Amino acid sequence: MNELLQFSLCLLAFNCFALAKFNHYRDVFKNRPTKKQSQRFIIAAWISILLSLVLSVAQNNGYGALLFCGYMALSLLILMIFYSFKASWVKIMSAVNITVLMLSGLFLSVF
Amino acid sequence: MKESFFRSMTWMHTWVGLLVCWLLYLIFFAGTISFFRDEVTLWNQPALHQIATPSNRIQIQREQIVAGYDYLKNTAPDSNRWGVYLPSEREPQLNYAYEKPRPEGKRFGGWQDHYINPVTGQDVDQPRETQGGNFFYRLHFDLHYLDTRTARWIVCLASLFMLVALISGVVIHKRIFKDMFSFRSNKGSRSWLDGHNVSSVLALPFHIMITYTGLITLIFMLFPYPAMTAYDNGVRGLFDDVQPTNVRTKSNPEKASLAPIEHVLDQVYTNWPDADLTQVTIRDPNKASATITVRANTGSLVQDQSPTMLFNGVDGSLIAKTNQEFSASETVFDSMTALHTGRLANPLLRWLYFLCGIAGCVMIASGCIMWAKRIRERMKKQQTASFGLKLVEGLNLATLMGLPLATCAFFIANRLLPITTAERADKEILAFFLAWLAVALFALFKRGKRQWIQLAWLNCAACFSVPLINAITTEGNLISYLINGQWALFSFDLICLVCAALFIVQVKKLRTATSKTAPVKRSSRSPKKQLEEQKA
Amino acid sequence: MHTQPIENSQPLMERAKLSQFYQTHKYRFAVFSRFLAAILGGYVFTAVFTSLLSIILPLKKSDAVLLSISLTILVYSCVFIWVFAIKSLKRIWITILLTTTACALCIAILKDWL
Repeated sequence: MNELLQFSLCLLAFNCFALAKFNHYRDVFKNRPTKKQSQRFIIAAWISILLSLVLSVAQNNGYGALLFCGYMALSLLILMIFYSFKASWVKIMSAVNITVLMLSGLFLSVF
Repeated sequence: MKESFFRSMTWMHTWVGLLVCWLLYLIFFAGTISFFRDEVTLWNQPALHQIATPSNRIQIQREQIVAGYDYLKNTAPDSNRWGVYLPSEREPQLNYAYEKPRPEGKRFGGWQDHYINPVTGQDVDQPRETQGGNFFYRLHFDLHYLDTRTARWIVCLASLFMLVALISGVVIHKRIFKDMFSFRSNKGSRSWLDGHNVSSVLALPFHIMITYTGLITLIFMLFPYPAMTAYDNGVRGLFDDVQPTNVRTKSNPEKASLAPIEHVLDQVYTNWPDADLTQVTIRDPNKASATITVRANTGSLVQDQSPTMLFNGVDGSLIAKTNQEFSASETVFDSMTALHTGRLANPLLRWLYFLCGIAGCVMIASGCIMWAKRIRERMKKQQTASFGLKLVEGLNLATLMGLPLATCAFFIANRLLPITTAERADKEILAFFLAWLAVALFALFKRGKRQWIQLAWLNCAACFSVPLINAITTEGNLISYLINGQWALFSFDLICLVCAALFIVQVKKLRTATSKTAPVKRSSRSPKKQLEEQKA
Repeated sequence: MHTQPIENSQPLMERAKLSQFYQTHKYRFAVFSRFLAAILGGYVFTAVFTSLLSIILPLKKSDAVLLSISLTILVYSCVFIWVFAIKSLKRIWITILLTTTACALCIAILKDWL
C-alpha cells in the first residue's frame, strides 16, 4: 500500500507538470489554460512530488530514494504514452489516479 | 572544438556515442537480463522447478546448516572447501557443495554440487549443466571470448564514453523539461530523436547511476593509484584495513578436528537474533588452518558488503566480524556497488530496474539508428552510400536484431541439447554466438528494409518458440506456472511472448512506413514498440 | 657537384610532403589529438589528482582513499568534457601537463620521494 501511495503521488505530480504546459493542456481540455491555472498545476505538482519523495525516503531511506527514481521512470513512461497517443484518455487516467491515491491514503490512515 | 560550447558538445555527443554504441547495447542488454540472473538460471534448470519455498524458510536454516555440515563431513572430509548455500527467496534449492580435487597447477577444482529440496529434505536430480543467468552476467563485463582483463578495460572505456555522452546529452537537450512527455510518431528521424530523448530522460537518474556505479565496480582495476599512494601494499592494504573479515590465513595441512557447528551458530544467533543467512563456507576443513565464514542477507539496506562473521574452524572462536557502522566514505563507496548490482532489490524495485534497463537499450538503439538515418536523409538521390554509413547500418542490423535472436538461441539450446552432452554449458553459449554470427554474416550482404523485416520475423518466431519448446520439453508451461504461482518462470515465458508480439508490431510498422512523404496517420501503438520498429 | 643540391633538397621535399600530408589531414590529426588528450591525458591527470587527494584529505586513511576513489570517475568525465569544450588544442595539452606535473610534485614532496 505504501508503494502504491508513493507511486500515485509521483504519477499525479508529473501529470500536473504536463497539464501546466500549454500544448498538453490544450490536447486534453480543448481550450487554453490561463496563467493562473498553469501556476496552480505547477505548485500542486511540486507539493505532490516532494511528498512522494519524502514518503519514500522516510519509509526506506536509501532504498526508498532508489524506488522513487523507478517511480519517476514509470510515471513518465505512462504519461508519455497517454499524452502522445491517447490524449482523450488522460481525464479518465487522472480520475483513476486520484481515486487510487485517495484509497491507498485512506487505507493507510485507517489500518 | 567547434565555435560554441553547445556545438562542441553536440559534436562530442554524436561521435563519442557512435564509437561505442554497439558495445554499449550489448552491455546494457546483457546487464538488464542479469538483473534477473537467478530467475534465468532457475528457468534453465527444469530439475529445480518443482521446489517450493518453505514458509518457515528462515526458521529452518539452522537445521539445514547442521545437516549440511554432517553431510559434508561424511562425504568429503579431504576437500579443500565446503559450502552450505541456503535457499533464498529467489533460489529455492538448498545446496551442499564441496570443492573437487584440484588438478595439477590449478588454484581451484570447481564445485561438486549436491542439491536438496528444502521442503521434503530429499535429494534433487542433478540439474542440467548450464551457465544460465551467469552467462549474461559475465558477458556484460567479460565479453566471454576475450581475455578477462582486456575485456574489462574495453568495457570501462565504453562506460566512460557512455557517461560522457550522457552528460553532454543533458547539456545539448535544451528542451529537456519542455518536451518531457512528447513523442511525435511517423516523422522519420524526428521520431527517432524523440524516442532517443524520451527513453533517456525518463530513466536519466538510472542511466547516470548505473554507468557511474558500473565504473566504480571495476575501479580497483581502473584506478588503483589512490590506494597505492596511501598504502604500502596498495589495494590489498586497503581491503585489509576496510574489511576485517578479509583475513587470509596460511594454509596449514596439519590434521585437526573441526569445531562443532552448533558452537559457531550459537554465536551467530546471539549476535544477529533473526538473521537471514545466505551461506556458510568452510576453508581447509579438518585441517589446522580451518576457518568458517557465515554470511547473512543485507535486507533492504543499500549496502553491498553482506554482514559476515569469520570463525576459527578448530576451536570455533570468532576471529572477525564486519563492522555494521559505516563511516560516510565507506557508505558512499559501498552503496555504489550495491546500487549497481541491485541484489538488494525486492520484486517491485527489480522490475523498475528492468524497465529502466530496457529504456537504456532503447536509448542506445535509437541513437545509433538515428545517426544512419540522418546521413541517409541528407544524401542526394544518385549518391552512393559511403563505407562508413554502410558499416554503421550493418552493425546496427547485426547488433540490434542479432542479440535478441542469439539470446533466444541460447534458451532454445538449453532445452533441446541432450542432457548428457559433454560440456553442455559451453555448447549453449556456442549456440548464442553462432546465431549472432549468422545474423552478422547476413547483414554483411544486405542491410535494407527487407532484411530488417525478415530478421524481425525470425526474431518473432524465435521468441515465440522459447515458451513453446519449454512447454513441450518440460513438465511446466505458461498456464501451469500461473496456476501454481511460479512467478519467476511465468514472467520469463510471458516476456518471451511479449517480445514476439513486439516484433510483429515492428514488421507492421516497417511495412507501413514506406516513405517519408506518405501521409501519416496518428498511431495508436505504444511508444516502446515505436522505438523498436525500424524504418529503412 | 650536381648531386649536392639534390641531396639537400631531398629532406626538404620530404618535409614539404609531410607538411602537405599534415595540411590535408589536419582535421583528423586535431580530432585524434583531442581524443588522446581526453582519454590518456584525462586518465593520467585523474590518477595523479586523486592519488594526491587520497593523502591530503583530512580523514582516516581508509576513508580518504575510498572517498577519492569514489570521485575518480567524476573527475575523469569532467576532464573529458572540458577537453572537448576548449577550443585551443595547445592550451589543453599545456594545462593537462602542467597540472599533472604539479600534482605529481606535491605527492612526491608529501611522500618524501625526492
